[in-house]
Amino acid sequence: MLKRIKVDRDLCMACLNCVLACMDEHNKKGKSVYDLDLEDVSNGSRNHIELDKNKCPTPIICRHCEEPECVYTCMSGAMTKDKKSGLVLYDEEKCSSCFMCIMACPYGVLKADEVEKRVVLKCDMCGDREIPRCVESCTTGCLSIEEDE
Amino acid sequence: MKMCRSSDKKLEKFLLSKEVETSFNRVQAQSIKCGFGQQGVCCRLCSNGPCRITPKSPRGVCGATADTIVARNFLRAVASGAACYLHVVETTARNLKAVGEKKGKIKGINTLNELAELFSIQEDDIHKKAIRVADKVLNDLYKARHEKMELVEKMAYKPRYKKWEELNILPGGAKSEVFDAIVKTSTNLNSDPVDMLLHSLNLGICTGVYGLTLTNLLNDVMLGEPVIRTASVGFKVVDEDYINIMITGHQHSVISHLQDRLIDEDIKRLAGSVGAKGFKLVGCTCVGQDLQLRGQHYQEVFSGHVGNNFTSEGLIATGAIDYIVSEFNCTLPGIEPIADKYMVGMICLDDVAKKANAEYVNFNMNEEEEISEYIINKALESYKNRRCKVKIDIPKDHGHDDVITGVSEKSLKKFLGNTWKPLIDLIAEGKIKGVAGIVGCSNLTAMGHDVFTVELTKELIKRDIIVLSAGCSSGGLENVGLMSPKAASLAGDNLKSVCESLGIPPVLNFGPCLAIGRLEIVATELAEALGIDIPELPLVLSAPQWLEEQALADGAFGLALGLPLHLAIPPFITGSKLVTEVLTNTLTNMTGGQLILEDDVKKAADKLEQIVIERRKSLGLVVEDEGEIA
Repeated sequence: MLKRIKVDRDLCMACLNCVLACMDEHNKKGKSVYDLDLEDVSNGSRNHIELDKNKCPTPIICRHCEEPECVYTCMSGAMTKDKKSGLVLYDEEKCSSCFMCIMACPYGVLKADEVEKRVVLKCDMCGDREIPRCVESCTTGCLSIEEDE
Repeated sequence: MKMCRSSDKKLEKFLLSKEVETSFNRVQAQSIKCGFGQQGVCCRLCSNGPCRITPKSPRGVCGATADTIVARNFLRAVASGAACYLHVVETTARNLKAVGEKKGKIKGINTLNELAELFSIQEDDIHKKAIRVADKVLNDLYKARHEKMELVEKMAYKPRYKKWEELNILPGGAKSEVFDAIVKTSTNLNSDPVDMLLHSLNLGICTGVYGLTLTNLLNDVMLGEPVIRTASVGFKVVDEDYINIMITGHQHSVISHLQDRLIDEDIKRLAGSVGAKGFKLVGCTCVGQDLQLRGQHYQEVFSGHVGNNFTSEGLIATGAIDYIVSEFNCTLPGIEPIADKYMVGMICLDDVAKKANAEYVNFNMNEEEEISEYIINKALESYKNRRCKVKIDIPKDHGHDDVITGVSEKSLKKFLGNTWKPLIDLIAEGKIKGVAGIVGCSNLTAMGHDVFTVELTKELIKRDIIVLSAGCSSGGLENVGLMSPKAASLAGDNLKSVCESLGIPPVLNFGPCLAIGRLEIVATELAEALGIDIPELPLVLSAPQWLEEQALADGAFGLALGLPLHLAIPPFITGSKLVTEVLTNTLTNMTGGQLILEDDVKKAADKLEQIVIERRKSLGLVVEDEGEIA
């Protein structure tokens, strides 16, 4: 079963709950919202909200593409497409920080970490979590899970 | 419908059996919270906002940092909470003045005399004395900010007063202090987090001395002093044979005429004319706790206290409530559709608590006879109209008949033989390890309805720490049996033997949240008896399930008094490192107080016990084997 995060952008209110949720889930200090240091630039979010040309908020969330440009352009083997789960996975140990993936991503979702500019902040669908934290935290229904057989 | 847990399993079962939506159901749909709100870093003070602090946007458009935004939000919340309690004391003092002017009943003459003496009022006529006492309070409340309030020095424990003077947090006129707190926290005004935290402590003093302590005492003058007695609590107190008026609020004196009038013979006959045995007031929220506290004087009219704020929706769903009189919070908007469904009329006697579907009549002591008649007729009409159409379902197995109530600073001391010595001796011997005030509200988010409160209380009494409770916390604790003598079996061996020999429960019921002021008198008198300052006492506070802004103002008083204060849910401050650091750490070197944030029951109990043990050590008291404290 392939899981993807579906975005209904008309429902986005730019509350940034998904952004905080992503930071919460990947915070090395703990997963509670109260563990989150909102001034700590070393804990970046893997998703973001941008305004489109009509000033409408648009969640930018990794699509785990069928034909992932980030994987195709990765020369070190850090980015891979897992056939079984359909996820595009990232191994920071293998990353050579060339950032070709960032340049190639058609959605502009990938970015380098803020402090060291060494690794790429990449959605991992929250690992073993049944529902990714961003989807769980979305109050408007903008984000949902889509499952393909 | 999905619903949240309650520590009160019978209440949970009853709510599940009803086709009525309550807060217990809605909490599920509101379970996703905004992280910026939780951390206190959302600012809505101007049209450049709302601004939120993130690693990529560490300042608001105006340049405000997380520290400034959090401190502003916090001070605003404390100011609102202080304003609520100051409204209550203002009403109470105005009512006392009116009682004096119309030469009405003074039921607590001892308290009146004590207050008059404390305020240096010499007056033989008790009614004139009441007017002068009330005026002293009102004059202070209405002073300008640059004029210090006079009664603070008379009411406060000397070492505390000195400390507050040193810190420059002695309040000017209380209402002006609230006013300028609002000014301070408006757009592009104060940006100094420390100044705003000190202002919060100042408002804590306004709240504690006036809103809490003086409200209790002025009410005791009008309504009678608490007397320790056994009472019934829970849904079982509701008797469908009567015309039942449910009361919600915090201003006991507003219903003083009504509660006496309801048991006059002519009114009983009136009830009889429609087939009821009479009228009863059914207690709910803090005013119910207040009536329970003074229940000795109101045994006939008061059916008993049913439960706290989040029990009110369920109470209406029994179908046995005929009319609702409210005068303050916690009157949940959620009772409105339930009252409509069960055809229960509602009246508000103070527009600060005006409910959308309630009738509003402005309470005024000079028109109290007419207002009581009006309420009685409305309740009667409602009873006649609805009883044949509504099914009554009272869970009679809910509650207890042996709850010890009526505990106050005076009644407790009297119980101990008019001296604190027996309690001090028990503490010194280690039979009672320490004292914990478990106070404040009930919420549905710290593990569920009263769950954290009940679990923490159990954990503390198991460690021989006696618990004193005031607020909606007591409503929860009494409904699960912890305020009945039989609860002694849940205490540690030492505390258990103390409770059994005295016939008391390990959790003492001081009543409404206003009575947090009474707990603090107990703390002051214990410190006085020992010749130490309050922060040296083996005494801790916890408002585990604080709900509202008022609780934060109470908390600010606890911190000003120098008490450790535990909260299970942070008061929207953790987004600021500075504010969090000052409140959880630096403050110990200022007032002696300390905020403890801990959302795990066992860890919270460990931290509170550890403080008690350290305090015992510094006082040179016996400290038993610490092995059990992991």
